[in-house]
Amino acid sequence: MTFLQIRGLRKDYGIVTAVRDVNLTVERGEFMTFLGPSGSGKSTTLYILAGFENPTAGDILLNGDSLISTPSHKRNIGMVFQRYTLFPHLSVGENIAFPLKVRRLPKAEIDAKVAKMLKLVRLEGFEDRKPAQMSGGQQQRVALARALAYDPPVLLMDEPLSALDKKLREEIQHEIRRIHQETEVTILYVTHDQEEALRLSDRIAVFSKGVIDQIGTGPELYANPATRFVAEFVGDSDFVDCRVLSAQNGRADIAVGSSLTIRGVPMHGRAAAGGAAALMLRPERLSLARGSVGQGSANLAATVTDITFLGSNIHVAAAAETGEALSVRLPFGHEAASSLSRGDTVSLGFDPASAHVFSA
Amino acid sequence: MALLTEQEKIAAVGSIRPIRSRNFALTVPALLLLVVFFILPVVSLLLRSVMEPEPGLQNYQALLGSTTYLKIFLNTFSVSALVTAVTLAIGFPVAWALAIMPKRWASIVFAVLLLSMWTNLLTRTYAWMVLLQRTGIINKTLMGLGLISEPLPLVNNLVGVTIGMTYIMLPFIILPLYGVIRKIDPAILQAAALCGATRWQALSRILIPLAAPGMVSGALMVFVMSLGYFVTPALLGGTANMMLAELIAQFVQSLVNWGMGGAAALVLLVVTLALYAVQLKLFGTARMEGR
Repeated sequence: MTFLQIRGLRKDYGIVTAVRDVNLTVERGEFMTFLGPSGSGKSTTLYILAGFENPTAGDILLNGDSLISTPSHKRNIGMVFQRYTLFPHLSVGENIAFPLKVRRLPKAEIDAKVAKMLKLVRLEGFEDRKPAQMSGGQQQRVALARALAYDPPVLLMDEPLSALDKKLREEIQHEIRRIHQETEVTILYVTHDQEEALRLSDRIAVFSKGVIDQIGTGPELYANPATRFVAEFVGDSDFVDCRVLSAQNGRADIAVGSSLTIRGVPMHGRAAAGGAAALMLRPERLSLARGSVGQGSANLAATVTDITFLGSNIHVAAAAETGEALSVRLPFGHEAASSLSRGDTVSLGFDPASAHVFSA
Repeated sequence: MALLTEQEKIAAVGSIRPIRSRNFALTVPALLLLVVFFILPVVSLLLRSVMEPEPGLQNYQALLGSTTYLKIFLNTFSVSALVTAVTLAIGFPVAWALAIMPKRWASIVFAVLLLSMWTNLLTRTYAWMVLLQRTGIINKTLMGLGLISEPLPLVNNLVGVTIGMTYIMLPFIILPLYGVIRKIDPAILQAAALCGATRWQALSRILIPLAAPGMVSGALMVFVMSLGYFVTPALLGGTANMMLAELIAQFVQSLVNWGMGGAAALVLLVVTLALYAVQLKLFGTARMEGR
């Protein structure tokens, strides 16, 4: 049986549809991230899972049973929020004990569990502190301990690290990974930060305009984006306007500008011959050579507009003949890059099989 | 404070004297007004309580030694406590609703609250008399519906005083409570729900403790104001439950006994100040910062 299943979920607010048609299955113990920009429906989906919102249509099944008619406090789901939601009048220990106290567990059991949770989030000795006496990162760790204290089958996390600075964020990302491995709890994690999603998740569901565009592991999404939106949102990408000459079996022959024809590029979406499309290239998969290379091969002619040294790699901004701004990422020490200057004409080569065409 | 440090800077340069004295001069009219029309009369009233009819504490002896007067004290406190409890019970849900309802709706409710505060107290009290009397709308409606066979005694008794005073005191508890509840992040209550807390548990273990400072300050304000209330108990209350302010008025106006009136006033003042001190001690500086 599927562990967690979301079926045909829809949420309307008046005439605005926040979530259109979300379908998803999650395995027990999986770390699933909802990735998307604000307003894409990822948080709404999470809030429906938590029971704070009722869906307009659709169902959520946990171990085969519908959750929709169960109120929040009976769902037995854990959640860590974006904002700090520790109870300010209770100490750290009392915060973690709260879900156990409302469940009327015996005191000895509560004390043992609180100690265990403090150990899990590495905050032993902090049980008498008040939330106001702790840093943001510590507060979110206590929130995590409180959400896991009652062994929920599912833990929801709604951008829990967005209020923290970068260094602390990375530190707690490691903690979350460790805790996921130790507890084997199923996590649904919402973020708009692709790096965070890639670092944490087993699988990522990319949300856009109320639907899931694609579900897959990080490498799958990066290597094989299903839509132009996924390509743009996961990793950096360059886009060049093109025309589809012919398409079959998921591959297309395309024309870029007036003279360049590229054959056998993976194609997404439907486009009739002659239709407009966009060629997607990854900046680090482009090769750069000075001057112009002969016609016919997969090479774009471009003019260098800027060069930025970024430590381990060099970022070259260039303008394609057809006008698009392109970015190229070269490893530090790249031969051609060392003598490059603005205004130089370069040739950007790529493997057609690693590029993608999205119909416009 | 900023003004003061500014002045201190000027003082360092050496040109402070004229500015400080001029600023002080600005407060003189207000201070004079207070001294002449408030402090002097209060002091003279208090003096008369130990000077009339002859020097000594006999007025206080009479006041605190008589069961009649002690009954009035007791009644004053119990009516005030009752009004405070009812006001809190009604005001808390209203303040909570105000804090979570859409801004536009909240401003309408506020307008209604303030409008009623701005309406003349006497008018409002007479309006309650009309509503509550034997042939008033409330009794007529209940009888018309067949719920009661004869009019309920709603006025000239404790019921009338409680209704009338609760209505007048409500804004004084709703406003401070609203201020405190509005600052509570709704996500905290969502977190409590996901932790497994029922609505009642979230209310009693999270919301009420977090709103406690607002509840205490509002309740103390209402209680203290109720202790000295005159118009509403005088009009809506009966002779059986006279309150302290009525007693003072009777001493001064009917009996022209300034000594006894002054003594009763001082007792009221002392109790009020003591309660204020309690509030300051409990919630003056250390609020909820986990001390």
